[in-house]
Amino acid sequence: MAQSQLARSEQINGWAFILPALALLGIFMVYPILWSLWMSFQTGRGMVMSFGGFTNIVRLTQDPVFIRALTNTLTFLAIQVPIMLVLALLFANALNDSKLWGRSWFRTAIFLPCVTSLVAYSVVFRSMFGAEGIINQMLLSLHLIASPIPWLADPFWAKVVIVASITWRWTGYNMIFYLAAMQNIDRSIYEAAKIDGVPAWARFWYLTVPMLKPVILFTTVISTIGTLQLFDEPNLITLGGPSDSTLTLSLYIYNLSFKFMPSFGYAATVSYVIVLLVGILSVIQFFLARDRRA
Amino acid sequence: MSNPLALLGRAAQYALLTLAAFVSIFPFFWMLIGATNTSADVTKGKASFGTALFDNIGKFFTTLDVPRLLFNSFFIAGIGTALTLVISSLAGYGFEIFRSRFREKVFAGLLLMLSVPFAALMIPLFIMMANLKLINTYQAIILPSVASIFIIFYFRQATKAFPHELRDAAKIDGLKEWQIFLFVYMPVMRSTYAAATIIVFMANWNNYLWPLIVLQTNEMKTLTLATASLISAYVPDWGVVMVGAIFATLPTLIIFFLLQRRFVEGMLGAVK
Amino acid sequence: MSSVKLRGVRKIFGSLEVIKGVDLDIDAKEFVVFVGPSGCGKSTLLRMIAGLEPISKGDLEIGGKRMNDVDPSQRGIAMVFQTYALYPHMTVRENMGFALRFARVPKEQIARQVDAAARILALGPLMDRYPKELSGGQRQRVAIGRAIVRNPEVFLFDEPLSNLDAELRVHMRIEIARLHKELQTTIIYVTHDQVEAMTLADKIVVLRDGLVEQVGRPLDLYDDPANQFVAGFIGSPKMNFLPARIVDAGNGQATIVLRDHPEARLTMTVTGVSAGEEVQLGVRPEHFGAPGAGDADLTLEIDVAEHLGSTSYVYSRTDGEPLIIEREESRREIGQDRITVSISASQAYLFNKNGQRIR
Repeated sequence: MAQSQLARSEQINGWAFILPALALLGIFMVYPILWSLWMSFQTGRGMVMSFGGFTNIVRLTQDPVFIRALTNTLTFLAIQVPIMLVLALLFANALNDSKLWGRSWFRTAIFLPCVTSLVAYSVVFRSMFGAEGIINQMLLSLHLIASPIPWLADPFWAKVVIVASITWRWTGYNMIFYLAAMQNIDRSIYEAAKIDGVPAWARFWYLTVPMLKPVILFTTVISTIGTLQLFDEPNLITLGGPSDSTLTLSLYIYNLSFKFMPSFGYAATVSYVIVLLVGILSVIQFFLARDRRA
Repeated sequence: MSNPLALLGRAAQYALLTLAAFVSIFPFFWMLIGATNTSADVTKGKASFGTALFDNIGKFFTTLDVPRLLFNSFFIAGIGTALTLVISSLAGYGFEIFRSRFREKVFAGLLLMLSVPFAALMIPLFIMMANLKLINTYQAIILPSVASIFIIFYFRQATKAFPHELRDAAKIDGLKEWQIFLFVYMPVMRSTYAAATIIVFMANWNNYLWPLIVLQTNEMKTLTLATASLISAYVPDWGVVMVGAIFATLPTLIIFFLLQRRFVEGMLGAVK
Repeated sequence: MSSVKLRGVRKIFGSLEVIKGVDLDIDAKEFVVFVGPSGCGKSTLLRMIAGLEPISKGDLEIGGKRMNDVDPSQRGIAMVFQTYALYPHMTVRENMGFALRFARVPKEQIARQVDAAARILALGPLMDRYPKELSGGQRQRVAIGRAIVRNPEVFLFDEPLSNLDAELRVHMRIEIARLHKELQTTIIYVTHDQVEAMTLADKIVVLRDGLVEQVGRPLDLYDDPANQFVAGFIGSPKMNFLPARIVDAGNGQATIVLRDHPEARLTMTVTGVSAGEEVQLGVRPEHFGAPGAGDADLTLEIDVAEHLGSTSYVYSRTDGEPLIIEREESRREIGQDRITVSISASQAYLFNKNGQRIR
């Protein structure tokens, strides 16, 4: 059947509107991803590369720095994301109360960190967590600790600083999503539950949380992707140290490519580890959160 | 509210929120205090305002070419934001208005790529820019982010609320498709554009990793990049660093306070 | 003031055929109403005439010219939408002049034409307002005004009154009728409301499932429906259908007996039926007469009786389907439990198993 002129012009317009974006995405996204895949099978230094087959993958398994970066990244993911999301949920629930005095003030305050630039907040945090810094001063004066904590000099505490920093920066962001979703829930559901004598904690756990499931999934995926790509904070606050204890995969890729003698092929292989992790974890999260009633 | 348990719950609620608000605000406060203190005082954790503010600002302006940095930051974020909005809103509109089975598949492909980490792109992008002799240029920073899958998605979602009958009316009124986009869609969707402007401007302004790779000379650096470089000194001058941090944060903070509602709408927009 | 002609017009979305071949002639200056239940394709058909939907097959002519591939703005049509589709960022004046701006009409002439249209619809005081500052009825008038400004050969209305409340709807209906008189243009009007169709149309086109069921003047459709669907769709309250059986047929006559009321026997002048055939007898609520006044009487159980003053509606049931009887006698004369009414062969319609009229 010959298409009418009108139907044809719809087709032409349909492509015309998206073509600029598709062309740019092709050049700056699709092509680099494929190139990077090809590169991950190349070995060599700088621009001189040759095909190495699975050499890079073998090197991954024998590279203690990579193993360290991987465990660090996964540690941050496993600890930071749950802490942050639970906090965000708690804050949102506390704020979702029209009778609360100073509600918008609290909301603005908790949201404020995610307005700052990553660089600015990272340098401020680095200064706060110095050995004699303000955080230690405060904890000492509150008698919560007996002696200063070596925040940036100790592998364990450096990790704590990173987790605390990211949590500070992003909790308010996630809270806003939860708050918006909570405000879309029909109030009368809570009123009905109150009349039925359901206690507050049960209203939260059995009503709010299940109804927020799609948003919780969304924020979990977004946070997972963000944490797997963690770069700015470790690069600025702890410089990946001490002794690589806060080195992340992204930071390692950066170091491999731009700090040391460039090893682009191997760096590309490491970057595909992130791609793989993002893919696997997204699938797992969707699988866990899928609707069981369906 | 006479029930003691409920009263206790209320108290816990306020305690939790007050603590959260304090922790959230404190670093801002610290940044302000720090900017008025000497580097030594910042390091010692002196928690009161000092007298070194003008000294620090002066040093900030002499260490760095601040007007140039501000120009670079605003230029990159401004042009980048404008281009991103145009290119990505065209695509978001196109995907939603002109549906076809094939284009839906293309869109699904884009959504899959939404989670591709930047780390997987940066090496090829860097080599590409080097081959094109674009290292250390504005184009190198701006171009890769102009077609943003997230913003395309955002506009597609928002376009679902754009009344189709307006497009029909405009067609009958004799407008071509690009005229409908320009004279009907864009003005009608201006609050969507406002919200998207905020998100994109923020992202561009705060971008760190890619400029760090591509911008190599001091006169090309952005404000955030230069601020970051201040702490890589062997003994950073923390007072000056704080001034830099204030400068880097101020524009986004001002936008936030002026357009708070739009700001939040923008962040929430894509998941509606 | 153009005529519109459709020949074998079809609309196919993938494997789904929405308009299954429509032939239609609309004369110049005629007020034609497309009516039918939702999903019947009436709006799609209108949008195909407007050029908003491509025509998959067949031909469309406006004013004797084939228009299938002509841009909507070049077809000499103007359209009023269900949601009015006023540009929210423009004042009433800008909305009305928008099309002319893109037709490169000089500014003074735009102003003249806009003012003329504003006068016809008494929009004067609203000209500098934005759509959101107008009431529903005002928006509707602006939408009509915007169509008038373009001075079209054919006006297209897509359910223009369905977003208004009942009172305003009646008011705007009269306004549209007046406009048609005044402007003397061809109007194609889509509605699902048969009252609008009956009151406005010169010619009604009843559509169902993408096919034209019947075309005719409003009272012709009422008096002489071609099939059970049109009979049931035109007229309010709708026609009752009583299951019946032909017991005797021949010589252009047939005798039928109602299945649930064997006492009612009726002889009608029809051909092409045979004894034993199952049929449906259609009787409008207003055509039930007093006992003995017609050709057959039947007694029905009353479910509910509604008394509206001048008329009363009595609800009964036959074959599980509701049955409505309209009576004009005083409410006291209607009993509590039972009612006996008569039916006349001259005011009854016979339909076969396929819903086709038996004449």
